[in-house]
Amino acid sequence: MFGIRRPLRLAAGAVLLAATLALGACAQPPTPSDSPGPDGSQIVLDVAFDLKTVDPGREYEPTGQIVVKALYDTLLTFADNDSTKVIPDLATYEASADLTEFTFTLVQGRVFSDGSPVTADDVVFSLERLQGLKGNPSFLLDGVAVTKVDDQTVKLTTEAPNPALPSILATPSAGILNAAVVKAHGGTTDETDTAEEYLNANSAGSGPYTLRSLDVASQAVLDKNPQYNGSQRPTYDTVILRNVDSATQKMNVERGESQVALSLSGDQVASLSSSVKLTSASSATVIFLLVNANPAVSTLTSNPQFVQAVKSAIDYDALVELAGAGAAQATSLIPTQFLGTLPASQALTFDLEKATADAAAAGATGQTVTLSFPNDADPTGLPLANVAQRLQTQLAAAGITVELAPAPFATEIDAYRTGTEQIGLWYWNPDYMDPANYLAFGPGQTVGLRAGWPTEANPAIADLVTQGYTTGDLAQRKALFEAWGLAMNAESPFVPLLQPASNVVSQPSVTNVYYNPTWIINVAGLGRA
Amino acid sequence: MSLGSVAPDLAPPTPVGAEPPVAIADAGHGRRSHAALLRYIARRLIIACLLVVGLTLVTFSLTNLVPGDPVAAALGQRAADDPAIVARFRAEYGLDQSLPQQYLSYLNRLLHGDLGTSWQTHHPVAEDLARAIPATMEIALCAIVASALIGLTFGVWSAYKRGRATDQVLRLVSLIGISVPTFWMAILCFSTFYYRLGIFPGSGRLSPGLAAPPHRTGLFTLDALLAGDFRTFVDAASHLAMPVMVLTLYTVGLLTRFSRSSILEVLETDYVRAAKAKGLSGWTVFRKYVLRAAAIPILTIIGLAFGSLLSGTVLVESIFSWPGLGTYAYQSASKLDLLGVMGVGLFVGLVYLTINLVVDLMYGLIDPRVRVGR
Repeated sequence: MFGIRRPLRLAAGAVLLAATLALGACAQPPTPSDSPGPDGSQIVLDVAFDLKTVDPGREYEPTGQIVVKALYDTLLTFADNDSTKVIPDLATYEASADLTEFTFTLVQGRVFSDGSPVTADDVVFSLERLQGLKGNPSFLLDGVAVTKVDDQTVKLTTEAPNPALPSILATPSAGILNAAVVKAHGGTTDETDTAEEYLNANSAGSGPYTLRSLDVASQAVLDKNPQYNGSQRPTYDTVILRNVDSATQKMNVERGESQVALSLSGDQVASLSSSVKLTSASSATVIFLLVNANPAVSTLTSNPQFVQAVKSAIDYDALVELAGAGAAQATSLIPTQFLGTLPASQALTFDLEKATADAAAAGATGQTVTLSFPNDADPTGLPLANVAQRLQTQLAAAGITVELAPAPFATEIDAYRTGTEQIGLWYWNPDYMDPANYLAFGPGQTVGLRAGWPTEANPAIADLVTQGYTTGDLAQRKALFEAWGLAMNAESPFVPLLQPASNVVSQPSVTNVYYNPTWIINVAGLGRA
Repeated sequence: MSLGSVAPDLAPPTPVGAEPPVAIADAGHGRRSHAALLRYIARRLIIACLLVVGLTLVTFSLTNLVPGDPVAAALGQRAADDPAIVARFRAEYGLDQSLPQQYLSYLNRLLHGDLGTSWQTHHPVAEDLARAIPATMEIALCAIVASALIGLTFGVWSAYKRGRATDQVLRLVSLIGISVPTFWMAILCFSTFYYRLGIFPGSGRLSPGLAAPPHRTGLFTLDALLAGDFRTFVDAASHLAMPVMVLTLYTVGLLTRFSRSSILEVLETDYVRAAKAKGLSGWTVFRKYVLRAAAIPILTIIGLAFGSLLSGTVLVESIFSWPGLGTYAYQSASKLDLLGVMGVGLFVGLVYLTINLVVDLMYGLIDPRVRVGR
């Protein structure tokens, strides 16, 4: 029957297992210097993953951009240290005077990771696939027709003038895929495409790296592409991106177990050890307030004088200090890395007296308005909850009573999108490196409507928006977007607050560390001292 | 911190959903005894199946009660403005159907072993779980084996030395074990043994650059041994050590307290006193009388503790960057990935159902009173 013997045998087995494990655990673990890390040809980057896929036509998350940028070359790109001017990558281009026709000529001799040449057919397939998948990045090429002219030439035609198209084609999502390989694994240019699974295990690009393995929850491993013949000179043979919590990232990089940490907040970098290097710059993320202009949502917030009161009641310098090293005031909704941004002298300013007078004139007599924000969102390590609390105090000083209404991002985004928030605290990451991104805040545009701000509410700014979408000349565009930024600062229901810091912490041996607003970091550009 | 934590109180444990042990058969009627046992098992299995259906309904309803639109959470801002993209997304995930329809098609897919596709990872949920569960299983198995050994030893020792210094010390240790929050202990261990002393390696299941051993069980230590790769085994075991240590500390505290109280209860009984008076050796009394009688509550609590370890140790996994079930549950919930959340909920429910079923069945095997009948 069932005596004690069987449990005893079980226990003995368990002891053996535990002892074996303990033995393994006590054995000296491989120290970082054992692995080919800092001194060898491997580099480890710690990131708090936001990653779903590395299929260029489907990915649209920050971590996905880092990986896809390394695997897939684009027609055009930006230099590591200048994100205002597009440069050729797989192709050079010419635009027609009316900015509706863009002709791309492929650079001779470029090849995919399997050695086959990059052709016009690959370009047409990749761009049409991006459009046809109806995925997150498909909007990038809305209204663009792609046609092959000859084996080396592709023409893109847009319905309306589109000066932003070259910048759009430099985003990793517009990466060029090896059409033959992708088609062989279920790739099509419409929603029937089934190549994602293949592309999450293998890469089919002409970029400096190829994909060795991917686990969207834990790590991506990239190997140098031996066939790569582009202009970059990748230093490391192997690049490993690991999903690591930010607190752990700090310890890893300080101990040398990783060479780069990408998700440290302003607080965390303030206490860094001297053994690591900090590259801190303001990010291209703009944190802003939306003050709803729709009287049906709030009669108080829709009063233009109330908006003025809010704009003057905010102590912007105190917010920047709160955000930590590297953060900056957002001088307009267009961040400092973009064409048409405003100088600091033209940013909104703190004037408590004016704010108090405006608030009183607008009829703010102690009634409560709601400030909604996603409380689990921390764009580049700055929790919005901290910003909201500070704003509540600052607004109270001007006689504006604000009640904080935090909710998870997944829940709150609904109210934001449907335009029912009285005051909303949100952030905007650029989709591509062109100021046309920000025209969405204009009256009658996507974000403008979320603030209850239709076209007819401000025809003058609406006109600037139209011009912004169609003007191609660089100098004209600069003047135009500056004028737009100034007008938005003065009259829009939006209050640009902050560009939080983007901190890249690295081992001193890692060189050429640059933050890029679109793809965060170009791993192929990283060097070794 | 766990999804389903075990309350460390000392009341006699009752397994969730368990029936009282039944009289399986009369003594001396082997065949009838066998039939009764089968009937008992069959009844428990049927109940378990009904509970599974109930479980799917509960996870489905709770998940869909969450305010917020998965479209807004899953799609980028620009994509969510495009009605064609939104329509495709809703159609792809069946969100264009009514809730009852969605539930029925979920059940239908479930019958075919399909848990749906996560819109967070773009992978079938079943595949995601198959990847995450072994990672958590590896920690949970090691932690439960270690804690059962240590906890039982401490509990027995403490009971036999009742009131003496040893007992006091052991009780203090177990009190600390169950009182200290596991996530805090995890941070403390991580920063001490990894960051400051460098005794154990840092995040993840393996050192960066080390390939996972060929997949057999998904437990890296075991797979590495099976592949004869000692270097990977050492690396995996050293990564495993700290999270196991942290979780063991909590469970040891729990098991020490439970086994101590159960054994004390038995030590007081007349039959133990009679056995001692009969002149039986201390070891025989302990083995045949004390341990056997105290085994049932201890077994129950071990089962529940194992369930709690398996059902996700969210914060501990996050601190050690461990790609297990807790991490997956958290990521799914924060991205409003309903199918992912339902998959985890279903798995956790199944774990508890199975544990209760097994513990129920083992009652009959361990306890002679149950076996012999009322």
